Amino acid sequence: MPVRVVESNAPAQVSGSDPGNRSPLPPSSLLAAGQAFSGTQNVSNQQKEEAWRVNVQIQGVDLEHGYLCGTMEALNVPMADTPVITFWEGEIVDGKNYTFYTGKWEATREDDMRHWSKFPSFAPLQGQVESDGGRQLDLTNYPYIFMRWKEQYFVNVGTDCGLTIAGFYYVCFSCSDGSISGFYYDPNSSPFQKLELKTVNEGRSGFSFSSYELQ
Amino acid sequence: MPTTSSSSSSAASSSGNRQADVFSRLASSDPEVKLKALRYVKNQIIGNRTKKLSFLKLGAVPAIASALSDSDCHNNSSILVQSAAALGSFACGFEAGVQAVLDAGVFPRLLRLLTSSDEKVVDAGARSLRMIFQSNQAPKYDFLQEKNMEFLFSLLNSENENVSGLGASIIAHACGTTVEQQVLCDAGVLEKLVVLLDGSLSQREACLESLATVLKSNPEAVSRFVGLEAGRYLSYVTELTKDRYPRTRLLSCLCLVVIYNTSPSYFLNMGTKSSLVTTLLELLNDPGQSGDEAALGLSSLIAEKEDLQKLAYEANAIKNIVDILKTGSELNPKRLQGLFFSLAELCSKLEDCRCSFLSLEVLDLLVNALRHKNADVRTAACICFRNAARSVKNLSAGRFTADHVMLPLVQLLHDPSSSVQVAVLGALSNIVLDFSSPKSTFIEYGGIKQLIELSKSMDPNARCSSLRALRNLMFLADNKRKELFYSEVKAQGFASLISDPEPSVQEQAVALLRNLVDGCLNSIEFVFDEDGLILDTVGRQLRKAPQAQMAIQGMYVLTNVASGTELHKEAVMQQLFPQPQAESNNFMLKFLQSHESQLRSATVWTIINLISPSSPGALDRHVKLRNEGIIPQLKNMVNDACLDVKIRIRTVLSQSMSFGDN
Repeated sequence: MPVRVVESNAPAQVSGSDPGNRSPLPPSSLLAAGQAFSGTQNVSNQQKEEAWRVNVQIQGVDLEHGYLCGTMEALNVPMADTPVITFWEGEIVDGKNYTFYTGKWEATREDDMRHWSKFPSFAPLQGQVESDGGRQLDLTNYPYIFMRWKEQYFVNVGTDCGLTIAGFYYVCFSCSDGSISGFYYDPNSSPFQKLELKTVNEGRSGFSFSSYELQ
Repeated sequence: MPTTSSSSSSAASSSGNRQADVFSRLASSDPEVKLKALRYVKNQIIGNRTKKLSFLKLGAVPAIASALSDSDCHNNSSILVQSAAALGSFACGFEAGVQAVLDAGVFPRLLRLLTSSDEKVVDAGARSLRMIFQSNQAPKYDFLQEKNMEFLFSLLNSENENVSGLGASIIAHACGTTVEQQVLCDAGVLEKLVVLLDGSLSQREACLESLATVLKSNPEAVSRFVGLEAGRYLSYVTELTKDRYPRTRLLSCLCLVVIYNTSPSYFLNMGTKSSLVTTLLELLNDPGQSGDEAALGLSSLIAEKEDLQKLAYEANAIKNIVDILKTGSELNPKRLQGLFFSLAELCSKLEDCRCSFLSLEVLDLLVNALRHKNADVRTAACICFRNAARSVKNLSAGRFTADHVMLPLVQLLHDPSSSVQVAVLGALSNIVLDFSSPKSTFIEYGGIKQLIELSKSMDPNARCSSLRALRNLMFLADNKRKELFYSEVKAQGFASLISDPEPSVQEQAVALLRNLVDGCLNSIEFVFDEDGLILDTVGRQLRKAPQAQMAIQGMYVLTNVASGTELHKEAVMQQLFPQPQAESNNFMLKFLQSHESQLRSATVWTIINLISPSSPGALDRHVKLRNEGIIPQLKNMVNDACLDVKIRIRTVLSQSMSFGDN
């Protein structure tokens, strides 16, 4: 689908820095429950080049709490007989619930900056984030959404499958075409494993959307 | 054993004889004999529910009532005092007793005791009436009648603490409407009640109860109360939450909960909120009535308030409540209801709470409560299930789909209580969301058929909830599941659901259709069954200027259909611009001008799919859209306030340019 990339709007600044008063990010129709993405994760190391095919499905989005979750399916994992599915939960960097600083999962501020700065769309924000952690940034009109995805459990295999979900992903979602890039961070794994995903259309000539409503 | 049996039988028989004998003594013309009999009954039944029931069955209440009404005894104050006390004792915390006292027709006589010149008689009458006024069965009291208001004030002004307490109890019992609250406030009842706060324990408690009644959901009354002596009494009630008597602590908490729920601006202090939560949590451990009421008070306090839910969570509320539920002792239904409601509120918004709740292995407790004989408890347990099942993490992990959980829930769809039915539909709506797990216990138990049946209910809530459940069940469903559903409902049935008179039901029906036509390409064919009856119905509804929420779902149906083949896209064009033209009102243009950004977004997505460059007819459709004013409208919206809409419009315009449209 030839979609023109929207010019990168410079992020606005907010007056006041009380996170409690911030608005959550507005909904983006491609980052919604039911949306599916497909692509690869590069797991190459010094010994060999390797990439796993990856499918992601978003199962829940709660912008008010800066939360989203879904599943990730790795298809050609060498040591597994079947595709490996994990359930992950995400933190949306909205300045209200979460900032660019992770503050956990063994990630220092330096680790955060090293990863975020790998996304070209982070460049216009970098200075502000370095000076005050991005507290003055208003990301509500920025056409990219930054997130951290942390896998929580294996869905279809046991924990003894020889795989680890100890790390987490720094993720950048493009609102215009729904593409996702990410970097896996785990101090004990190969650094900067790159995740690249695009929206999936199930053989359709266009986009299709489902929805549910929790009572 | 023979010996024991014989002795117990003889004891029972002797007790029966004594009770029978009492009746003849109650009817005696000798005042001394009558008095002794009255004392005997009163002493027997005090605090003893079994004895109350036993005497009640033997007809003691009418016998005592005649002793009270007997004209020969009018001057015998001892008989009046004892008979009033015995009747009050029957009524105390015992609904069948209240009923019997009222049935005996003695209520007016008790009221007349208040005019006696003998202080002891007045006191006994007031005590007895207070017991009656603690029950919902007590007669309604019309404050709007002037003489009743005068009488009420005469009670409140009394020096006798039981009489003034009775005045407060009457208010707590009978004040139910805003008009009544207003009339009482205008008459100066708040000023009278606050005086009682300084009185005896019983006056204070009655006063706290009536204050809560007069202030409930009435901001004007609250403002008047808070304004009394510059907030002194609000502070005083707050102080009383630390009183040494649990009942006083409870009633002052409940009064503050009412004030907070009515006018939250008086509670800006986090410390007050926190101490209110902590006190109510402590009171949950009280084994008596206060503990029962504290549970409902807590749920009312934290309802819909995320900050207070967080405070309660941090104060270990979930663990405390679950520990009480796990004690194994039989809990009062009112307490159970309050505890489940509190858990439900805690799980309503915060994912941490839901995960913490479910980690305590509570599902079996909830399942047991689904089978409780009291409908209020079953309803509360369903609501608790529903809110805990808002956790996508736990839904995705299949935490609720075990047979022993699903079966009782499905069975409750046939519950005789409609509130249980609606509540279980709410729980099932969430629980059926299994993200297309290949196996669905719900479907295996025949859930689809039952939901379709309920979607035809007379009750719009049941129709709406059952359709929401079906919508969630069809979210990302495979074709097998969709076929199963469709074979039960068929095109005609679906068209009727979409044409429901209630907008909220229409919305759910169309959202269900949206899910049905999502997924694999073949799914789109459902809307073309029976000459496209379903798609025609959606188009007709969209042309009728529907409410925004229904229109959003309708436009997503068109978007999903338009993401299919050339034929599908043309069918959507037919709905957007039907022939003859007169039938068309260009609803798409109206939707693009809607204030609802999601409706604008859904509409733009339909356009994106219609002019998708991979489809051969895209150019012709673009021309039609331009001629109908849609593309020019989008050009006006290039700086739409909503980022998502703005991005999608730019996609359309970029495509438009590739068709040579500048």
